[in-house]
Amino acid sequence: MTNSLGQGSCRLKKWRLDPHREISDLPLTFFLVSQPVVPCLLSLLQAPFVLGAPVSLADSINQTYNLALYMQKNTSVLVQTYLQYQGSPFSDPGFSAPELQLSSLAPAAVPFTLWRGLGDGERLLQVHRAFSALAQHLQLVSDDQADLNPGSSVLLSQLAAARLRAQGLMGNIASVMTVLGVSIPLEVDTLGSAPFGASVFQRKCRGYVVTREYEHWTDRAVQDLAVLKAKYVA
Amino acid sequence: MLRAAGGGLRLGAALPTARTMLALALLAFGALRAGSGSYLAVIAPQDPTLLIGSSLHATCSVSVSGGDTPTAEGLYWTLNGRRLAPELSQVLNATTLGLALANLNGSKQQSGDNLVCHARDGSILAGSCLYVGLPPEKPVNISCWSKNMKDLTCRWFPGTQGETFLHTNYTLKYKLRWYGQDNTCQEYHTVGPYSCHIPKDLALFTPYEIWVEATNRLGSARSEVVTLDILDVVTTDPPPDVHVSRVGGLEDQLSVHWNSPPALKDFLFQAKYQIRYRVEDSVEWKVVDDVSNQTSCRLAGLKPGTVYFVQVRCNPFGIYGSKKAGIWSEWSHPTAASTPRSERQGSSGACEPRGGEPSSMPVRRELKQFLGWLKKHSYCPNLSFRLYDQWRAWMQKSHKTRNQDEGLLSSGRRSTARGPTRR
Repeated sequence: MTNSLGQGSCRLKKWRLDPHREISDLPLTFFLVSQPVVPCLLSLLQAPFVLGAPVSLADSINQTYNLALYMQKNTSVLVQTYLQYQGSPFSDPGFSAPELQLSSLAPAAVPFTLWRGLGDGERLLQVHRAFSALAQHLQLVSDDQADLNPGSSVLLSQLAAARLRAQGLMGNIASVMTVLGVSIPLEVDTLGSAPFGASVFQRKCRGYVVTREYEHWTDRAVQDLAVLKAKYVA
Repeated sequence: MLRAAGGGLRLGAALPTARTMLALALLAFGALRAGSGSYLAVIAPQDPTLLIGSSLHATCSVSVSGGDTPTAEGLYWTLNGRRLAPELSQVLNATTLGLALANLNGSKQQSGDNLVCHARDGSILAGSCLYVGLPPEKPVNISCWSKNMKDLTCRWFPGTQGETFLHTNYTLKYKLRWYGQDNTCQEYHTVGPYSCHIPKDLALFTPYEIWVEATNRLGSARSEVVTLDILDVVTTDPPPDVHVSRVGGLEDQLSVHWNSPPALKDFLFQAKYQIRYRVEDSVEWKVVDDVSNQTSCRLAGLKPGTVYFVQVRCNPFGIYGSKKAGIWSEWSHPTAASTPRSERQGSSGACEPRGGEPSSMPVRRELKQFLGWLKKHSYCPNLSFRLYDQWRAWMQKSHKTRNQDEGLLSSGRRSTARGPTRR
């Protein structure tokens, strides 16, 4: 994948965003081990966007769009892995419980015309807010599962990865917002005192809702960024 | 749809009485909304822990929301995804469905069995996770070892039944026998699921008491206390620098050299060593056992022209003058070497399998004794074992056949003593 800065094909090489800085101190060793493509994408996430050379809107949007596309590949796997560890009925094939919702997590579903008519700022704001909430909820689910399923290293690592990706996407969306001149909202504590006192079954359901909404919001983010891409990228 | 304020569970919040009923239901259910848009429900008891074979009475209470009249009609129970027989549930009152389960089996997963109350259309209204199992058994068979007297690793077994169906936590504890408080081991699963490693701060020359505590939701159990002194359970690294080489042209011998493990070199001990070897395509190891405190050994009675794999291990016998054996180290990495090819031509059929081990040793010992006696009583001052080896090498070069079958060993020796024999 190349960008207009002419950085060349991004494979196992380190991505140079600023010619004077080597982006090598990534805490995301998980990705470096498993996916050769990811170090490039994620080094983009972690690099603060206060560099010497200004990043263009098109680049910013492209980058964010590609990240969302990459994330989309793994979101359904996360839901399936999560359900496997909770036992029946969750682990039954084809399990679906749309009636379960979390009041602290806004659903991704929105009427089409309403969604189509969103302004750029509002569109990005909604996605940003959603992934901020998702990152917090994924941390909660990680803690719950560490307690309920302590032996499930596969699940725990996938949950940790999803949380990091959510944070990464937030960062990228923030960069697009900055270039567009939209002010980035302060981080809000979406959980409040919700977590405490939940029963085991509630915690199992909660994790399902969070991973499901993570999948839905990632799909939505891809669509939102496609709209922006069509508008701003040549 | 009413939500608890802030999307969260506010304990102790004061709410207007008109909505208290609903709010209480919501508080019990936290921020999770369920129900097919109309109902909200609560199961009692939440997350109970039960012994295998016990019974359970549960209730699913629906409450109002959205204006519909809630009813317990049409609701049903599932346990781990399987619908429960209708005769087990009963409508207790207009808004409560009861359940009576008897003779419960152990939980299917450690996160608890999922008991769910469903609406008529199958959607999930509420759930409760059942933990059914047994209290833990006494852990048994604690065995410990110390690597170079620096640390202590212990292993145990979970008790005869093994399966408690509940997540069981094991804690290894230790204390100095005569004083001090209990210490808890921190690093678990170092050599398998029931193991722990104590990396430092261990005293020598004084006994420790060690035991394992097992705990789960139903109770706990404690193993017998094992008393040991670190010096009694010392093991070390395998001997380094293992070299295997040929002995001149001798086609049935290999010489093994190694160094004593460096970690214990400052401590007074006499190492015992064991060597094992096998041919390349065999899985049977032959063991040479009585190698005391020397760093070389000669293997004899081997097949010519064969690749052998050799390993050595060490036992730190007599640490600090103790009379007790330590614990055998791991085997060293296999070292390979090959014996020289036999001088025989085209007679692979005559290559009998050789016994190749202790059966040749007593003969050599006897020979040594004979030579020693000869030296004392004869006029041959240059008689030595080496001379014997040289003679043998000469024998191999000048003769085509040597018969050293295990069963024919004595006759083989006879033939060499008498002189060359052609067969």
